[in-house]
Amino acid sequence: MISCPNCGHQNVTGAAFCIECGVGLLSVDTVITHKMEMTPESVRSWAAAPPMPSPVSGGDNWVTLHLLDTGQVLPLTDRNEFTLGRVVEGQPVMPDLDLTPYHAYSHGVSRLHATIRRGVDDVYLMDLESANGTFVNGRRLEANEECPLSNGDVVALGGLKVQILLKSP
Amino acid sequence: MQASRRDYYAALGILRESTPEEIKRAYYSAARRFHPDQNMLPGETEMFLEVQRAYEVLSNPERRAKYDATLPEVDPDTIAPVRIHVDYSRHSLVRLDEPQLIYALFEAAPPGGPGKEVIAPLNMCLVLDRSTSMQGEKLDVAKATAVRIVQMLRPEDLFALVVFSDRAEVFLPSAFQSDLKRAQSRIQSIQASGATEIFQGLSAGLNELRRNRDPRRGSHLILLTDGHTYGDEQQCLQLAEEAARLNISISGFGIGGEWNDIFLDSLVGRTGGNSTYIAQPQDIQQMLVQKFAALARTVVDDAILEFQPQSGIQLRSCHRLQPDAGPVEIAQELHLGPILQDERLSVLFEFLVESAASKTESIVLLEGYVRAVVAARPIPFPPIPLRMERPSGTSASQQLPPQSIVSALAKLSLYRLQERARHETEAGEFELATRHLRHLALQLQAQGHEDLSKTAILEAESIERMQSFSEEGSKAIKYGTRALMQAPSGSRE
Repeated sequence: MISCPNCGHQNVTGAAFCIECGVGLLSVDTVITHKMEMTPESVRSWAAAPPMPSPVSGGDNWVTLHLLDTGQVLPLTDRNEFTLGRVVEGQPVMPDLDLTPYHAYSHGVSRLHATIRRGVDDVYLMDLESANGTFVNGRRLEANEECPLSNGDVVALGGLKVQILLKSP
Repeated sequence: MQASRRDYYAALGILRESTPEEIKRAYYSAARRFHPDQNMLPGETEMFLEVQRAYEVLSNPERRAKYDATLPEVDPDTIAPVRIHVDYSRHSLVRLDEPQLIYALFEAAPPGGPGKEVIAPLNMCLVLDRSTSMQGEKLDVAKATAVRIVQMLRPEDLFALVVFSDRAEVFLPSAFQSDLKRAQSRIQSIQASGATEIFQGLSAGLNELRRNRDPRRGSHLILLTDGHTYGDEQQCLQLAEEAARLNISISGFGIGGEWNDIFLDSLVGRTGGNSTYIAQPQDIQQMLVQKFAALARTVVDDAILEFQPQSGIQLRSCHRLQPDAGPVEIAQELHLGPILQDERLSVLFEFLVESAASKTESIVLLEGYVRAVVAARPIPFPPIPLRMERPSGTSASQQLPPQSIVSALAKLSLYRLQERARHETEAGEFELATRHLRHLALQLQAQGHEDLSKTAILEAESIERMQSFSEEGSKAIKYGTRALMQAPSGSRE
């Protein structure tokens, strides 16, 4: 069985997309699933997101990350700020969103790479002095300076390309 | 061109290494097809005699061996009419105590590249619904479309026009339509009246095609309707199976929301054809002309996959992605569909491997033959052996599958969500249906299909309020997600 990172549905091994919510499962192979289960803290923010109510109408997910290489979609809910990065053993500060399952390491994502924050009207991205930089539509951000995002912006964390999908107000 | 060469293998459409059993089967089917009691075309009796001679030689091991010794090393005629390539969603399977899924993307293309193939002339029949509900713009555009198609015919194409309501009338009998003016005035005289009985139209249309039956022509029936047919569905499906045996393909076009798409899919799926949704009457012409243009570029009329089920392996679904996206009816013989001059055939297979079957070194998912029906060449091509097989190991492979199959699966997953929501609505599970439609809407939005995403949200609301899909909305989503599967692989995402 493969557990869907988005809705928790148990899919038959070998399924490429979750039959419940349509999210891509290809890089969530059995081995990686185990890893996630071992560090529940780091993934609780999205792995445990309840399947109901539906994200589109419920208004819970203020931003959705669309991973362009694999087609996967990660809706972010519950809190107003997320640090993006990857989890390494013995790390003192964990990112809120662990991108390890999406080949973060090979794409040069730092352990604490960037933050994404929900402001009053806008959503902001800030680079956390990452080794390989954070880019918005190809433009590199200054470290520790917030940059407002628009719907459809393509953000690169090192080499990991993510499209930003914002909820229309 | 057949006169000088006497290749008995080619005459029967078999391979040099075919078994006696296969030779026998090929002989029976060829003999049936060209039997003097049935054939009606010049040259068919000669072909029948050739088939007899071939069988006499090849059915006897001694004579066969002697004949084989006289053959040149490489026979150019055994070159397959198609190139086949298969990609898999997983590099290998895992030995597991639970079932697992694997997908295979089958692709078939003509070997020579575009421009080298012979296109067969057509034997085509347009079957037009003229029930009362067609009155007005729908029938006007349909008539204009019929005229347009007659204008597009090549001199060597046969064309017939049948109109039907609760009875059928042959407006233009199957013939070379050289008298454009007459054809046009006949078409203009069509009036709307009566109810929709698809069996009537289908039966009369197939009769027209049979009247000028010629294996050297691509035979197609195009059905255009806007309504439900009642009580004659089973008869229609039988006709479709009969049509498939004669290598006649059927395409269905439904206008508006009132027709039965599930029935039409099942009907055309048996023949390797596809169904199309026409939302607005003004789109009729463009869709049908497009279909006609595709028929006129068809190199292989149908690729038929004959296979034996493997124990512990379930073929759960089969979807054609190209040239026309749609489900393939699962049977002993799969009619995968046509191959066009410039568009390959691609079909996505879904297999469920049961636990017991996963415990061997190597797992055969499917084994069989692909028969290419090529109207431009009356002597059948030898069947192409096809074997889908994967190794099985103790741990999962980390290798990501090729992009083409990933994007195909992404699209299939959307189509499936839509299908699920429809089944759930029918079963009265409205809460599940709305949830799946909303998930679908989110995925559609994420992939940049705003309009379809909005339609899905509207339908979710309709189910919440009225506990049913709207007729138009359900078709818009079904055919919309189906059309996404058709997008050329690797263009987006």
